[in-house]
This record gives sequence, C-alpha cells and structure tokens, in this order.
Amino acid sequence: MSDTRKKILVVDDEESIHLLYREELEEEGYEVISAMTGEEGLKLFQEEKPDLVILDINMPGMDGIEVLRQMKQMSPDVPVILSSAYPEYKQDLASWASDDYIVKSFNLDELKNSVKRHLAGR
Amino acid sequence: MPELRRDPIIGRWVIIASERGKRPYDFVTEKDITKGGFCPLCPGHENTTPPEVLVYGRPSHDPNGPNWQLRVVPNKYPALIIEGDLDKRGEGIYDKMNGIGAHEVIIESPNHHETLSSMDIDQLVLVFRAYKDRLIDLARDKRFKYIIVFKNFGKAAGASLEHSHSQLIALPIVPQIIQEELYGCQRYFDYKERCVFCDIIRQERSQQMRLVDENDDFITICPFAPRSPFEMWVLPKRHQSRFNSMDDGQLYQLALLFSSTMRKLDNALPNVPYNYMLHTAPLNDAHLEHYHWHIEIMPKVSTVAGFEWGTGFHINTVPPEEAAVILKGS
Repeated sequence: MSDTRKKILVVDDEESIHLLYREELEEEGYEVISAMTGEEGLKLFQEEKPDLVILDINMPGMDGIEVLRQMKQMSPDVPVILSSAYPEYKQDLASWASDDYIVKSFNLDELKNSVKRHLAGR
Repeated sequence: MPELRRDPIIGRWVIIASERGKRPYDFVTEKDITKGGFCPLCPGHENTTPPEVLVYGRPSHDPNGPNWQLRVVPNKYPALIIEGDLDKRGEGIYDKMNGIGAHEVIIESPNHHETLSSMDIDQLVLVFRAYKDRLIDLARDKRFKYIIVFKNFGKAAGASLEHSHSQLIALPIVPQIIQEELYGCQRYFDYKERCVFCDIIRQERSQQMRLVDENDDFITICPFAPRSPFEMWVLPKRHQSRFNSMDDGQLYQLALLFSSTMRKLDNALPNVPYNYMLHTAPLNDAHLEHYHWHIEIMPKVSTVAGFEWGTGFHINTVPPEEAAVILKGS
C-alpha cells in the first residue's frame, strides 16, 4: 500500500528542533524528512518533492532566505513556512516569498495550524 | 583641526574630522552580490504579496495581474497592524498603546534591476505621485498622526531584496525627530518670522559652497552639519510644509532633480548603500509657515557606535563643502 501521508521537509541546523518537530508532526500524521543545512535542504527538496517545507533562516552556509528564493524559483506552489527564533527577518522583503513566518516557540500550535492550513486541499 | 558644527534646526552637533579626510574611493563598496532566485516583487508574482492598495499603469479589468508600472501593497509581515484601537494606557509612570499603524511597500518599477539612478523620469514621477497619493489616502484615518516614507538601498542600509522599492509607515504618534525639527523651526520662526529652511536655501544659493544641484523648483545641498559623509537634502525652493501639496509640475521637477542627484551620488560613490527619508508636516497640521518638507539622503558609509549612541554627536570625515564639490562634478 502506498504511503499517502503528506511529506514535510524540515530544514534547520539545530538537532533539538528536528527532534521536537519530528515528534509533534509525526503525531499529527505527517511524514517528516530532515536537513541540517540549506544546501542539504535544497537537495532533498528536489529529490523528495515534499508537500511543504519548514525552513529556519539563520543557518551557517546558505541562509534560509536564499534557500527560500531557490525553492520558490523551482516550485512556487510548494508552501514554505519560515520558522525563526528572530522576528526581525520579517523586515527582509525577500521573506515575502514564504507562505508564512512563525517565530519559534516550544508551543507548536501556531506552527501546526499553519501546516494544516497550507496543506489543506493539496 | 577638527570642527564642531551645530545643526541650525534641531541643534544637533557633529564633529567634522577633516584631518581624517577621506576621498570618494575610500567609500567605494562592492556591489551587493545578487543571489537571484524568486523575487516576490516581480511581475507574475503578485499572489505572493498582499492585495495592492494602489496601482498605476494596469488595465482595470485585470486586478492584481502582471501588467503594471508601479504597485503599492501592505507589508506582508508588518511592523504595525492596521486593525484595532490604540487603547492608550499607563503602567505606573510608563505609557503604552497598541501597535496600530499602516506599513506599506511601494514597488517602484516592474523591472527587477532598475535603480533610482537608472530609472527614467516618467517612472520616477510615478514613485513620487504614489507617495503623495498614499499620504492623502492614509491621512483620512484619524488614528494616524504622521507618515514616514523611506527607502533603504543596499544590504548595509537595510535592504536585502534588490528589486527597487521604498516603504511607508503611518504612525499614531509624531516621531521624536520630527517633533524636534518642528520645535526648532517654530523657535526660529518666532524669533525671525522666517522659515529656517527658506533661509538655509537662500544662503546656500548665495554662497554656493554646499550646493550640489538645482532646477527651477528644487535644490539639493549638503547640509552645514551633516551626520554622514555625502549627506544631502532635497528641498522645494518655494515654501511648502506638506509633500502632498505638490502639483503635477512640481512632481515632474522633483523627479528631474532627484534623478540628477541620485546619478551624481552613484557616480561619486558607485553602488553606495543609502537611506532616504521624507520629512513632511504631521497629518493634522494645516499649512505651516515655519516648517518646510524635504528629503534627507544618507549614504551608508559610516558606523554608528558607542560615541554616537551615547552623545547624539556624529563624526563626519568629509566636510560638506568638499562633498558638494565632488558631487557637483560627478
């Protein structure tokens, strides 16, 4: 039987975020794949064709804004949610390419609601 | 010897450290590397921005479609939000209110690579017309007391997206810096019964030392006490306190002079990051005899650090007289 679960790619350089997001999102019935860098995230984006991306901004190497612009250039219809500890990147108009911008919190309700909203009907 | 200079309007002091004088090539910056990829401001990507509040050049049957000359859209992730009441309140000695305001982005051109110094005059007229139209429209909202229009160009000046744009924020308060300007202008007017900016224009035209450019209606000068090397002010020659009082002829003349000024800046300091800010009278004030709208252009070539934060002083390594000569010849 084929897996019909929606696939979410999480790109973040913090291991603890991956553990937290994976646990919470898998509980919601999603398949979660992980990338620790922007470069790896772009590679998985092309290979795995996720239904949605949760993307950190402040990462070593290629930052999340640059990754976002590359992803949207390739597949503008795949929702990308920026997830950052810092709200100030909202002032960066390049962040407008994203479908949502969520400031990181240990309460994941806002993130999970956004995921659900952007996957509805896909 | 260094010189201390006092700004005649708000009384701010600057240090002109001319012995540390720098030449334009000291400020040459590498052009920001365009990272490329998806641009949310380009034609065809209108669905990534909030619905526009103003558009020029598009046929009316195609709302939010791709054929436009200029768009104004609310900021997707605004610093202040438009809905709600101010709910002004106190907490002991501290005052606060809800973060109500309008935060909009003026997408100045459909062309991703266009800059203000390369833009044709008719397009630049549209940019200034958009400022005027938005000022008039937002002034109807009585919660707002002031609208600041500004542009960040280049990463060091706060713009990471290269597509030409400026921004405006409508505020429920008159910012401190504008209040200081208004107070300084009023004090000067009470004493001399003349507008201080009109007197500055008269003196700069007579002395020519800090004059960069002029046409029939507008003048560009390096101010006497500039905070930044190559700081420039663009002012209407005839007294006018509100930007949105300009007629079509003035908008065109402003575009002509502004274009010339920005080309001079670009020639003198290629690719230099800059900010400009429009200072105009607060929304609720009628025509003010003592206040004069103007645009302040601040090249981002110096660093604000402990001394500047601690004192409000700025250290400027290029005297404005020298900057004006360089800019005028560029």
